[in-house]
Amino acid sequence: MGDTQYIGKSVKRVEDKRFITGQGRYTDDIQLPGMVYAHIVRSPYAHAKINSFDIASAQSAPGVIAIFTGDDIKKAGMGGVPCGWQLHFKNGDPMVEPPHPLLIASGDTAKHVGDGVAVVIADTRANARDAADLIYVDYEVFDAVTAAADAVKPGAPLVHESAPSNICFDWEIGNPKAEVDAAMSTAHHITKINYRNQRLAPNAIEPRCAIGDYDGANDRYTLYTTSQNPHLTRLLMCAFVLGLPENKVRVVAPDVGGGFGSKIYHYIVSVHLVSK
Amino acid sequence: MQVSITVNGKSFTHDVEARDLLVFYLRDTLRLTGTHVGCDTSSCGACTVHLDGQAVKSCTVLTCQADGRSVTTIEGMANGDNLHPLQEGFREEHGLQCGFCTPGMIMVAADLLERNPNPSEHEIREALEGNYCRCTGYHNIIRAIQYAASHAVAA
Repeated sequence: MGDTQYIGKSVKRVEDKRFITGQGRYTDDIQLPGMVYAHIVRSPYAHAKINSFDIASAQSAPGVIAIFTGDDIKKAGMGGVPCGWQLHFKNGDPMVEPPHPLLIASGDTAKHVGDGVAVVIADTRANARDAADLIYVDYEVFDAVTAAADAVKPGAPLVHESAPSNICFDWEIGNPKAEVDAAMSTAHHITKINYRNQRLAPNAIEPRCAIGDYDGANDRYTLYTTSQNPHLTRLLMCAFVLGLPENKVRVVAPDVGGGFGSKIYHYIVSVHLVSK
Repeated sequence: MQVSITVNGKSFTHDVEARDLLVFYLRDTLRLTGTHVGCDTSSCGACTVHLDGQAVKSCTVLTCQADGRSVTTIEGMANGDNLHPLQEGFREEHGLQCGFCTPGMIMVAADLLERNPNPSEHEIREALEGNYCRCTGYHNIIRAIQYAASHAVAA
């Protein structure tokens, strides 16, 4: 056989030239005309009820364009982000899927440190951040549980009221009764170990990032976001959260600075930015 | 306050706030977006640039500290279409995957080779201690820097 162009050869990557010369185009490298910045105010507590928001002084801070709290999201009737994969309990019951609102409203509880409660939109990154510091959130702090093994013990604080014992599903694969028991009963030797799966934290070097662009004249939305899965993000966001037809929404994943699975999900931040 | 900074050989004068970080001056004001922000906490090194020839993390330098000084970014490394030996090395040795850490890696390696044109593997590894790569792994990055050291020409 004669020489082939590619088989058995080392092929240079087409994207390398722009990456090694500083010409890559990651989400944060995009600057649109009239672009403004969002800063999300997040719960400093793992488990806390929000009694009230005070946004008065933040609203009059320099450069602030708008502030939305969980109360505004609730009032607008916007749904939370759905889980993209349905699992079932061993007995066949569907998994418990508690709501994951876009921002936590007063009267509801923040479920983890970093749960979003308000978003500030301002003309610059610095002004958005300054104004966020002026938002006062009255929290009532509750006990929290941080280890999975402790979370299922009787009396553990509940993360979601709808998930008793903090269990959303218990899942198994294979046919333990017929096949595993049969194998065990004829085994020469049985070894038992307790195996605890480690916490998994895919950690790409490019952080989460998103830019929302609304074209009012044509009623079309564009979301630029660092994503491994732009089609699914569009489907979930349109069908389950915003109630928009997919043909009005375009999701663009430009150069992506690593993902390792963490950028497969549809993130709440994306929704904030696509909402007009 | 007003600052005058030379970036990649060109002089710029701008009004900046005293708290403005050099990385945002480069990215937002000058639109040199090859310098990246990965962690915002001085850990990852994706924002590494040269300040008067020395590698610094531009997320931890105030723009006003660069007043009257000279900055080189990844955009200033190639000479027209002629890539810097480090840029060649990263491409030849597959020293990158997603490319996000690459500008910082190249800038810190350029500082190393300037001070030590023939570093040992151990010296290269030590020089990279402030820079994270999350995809490719460090082996190929080290090969890329070794490639540059052995192919260095008067740039």
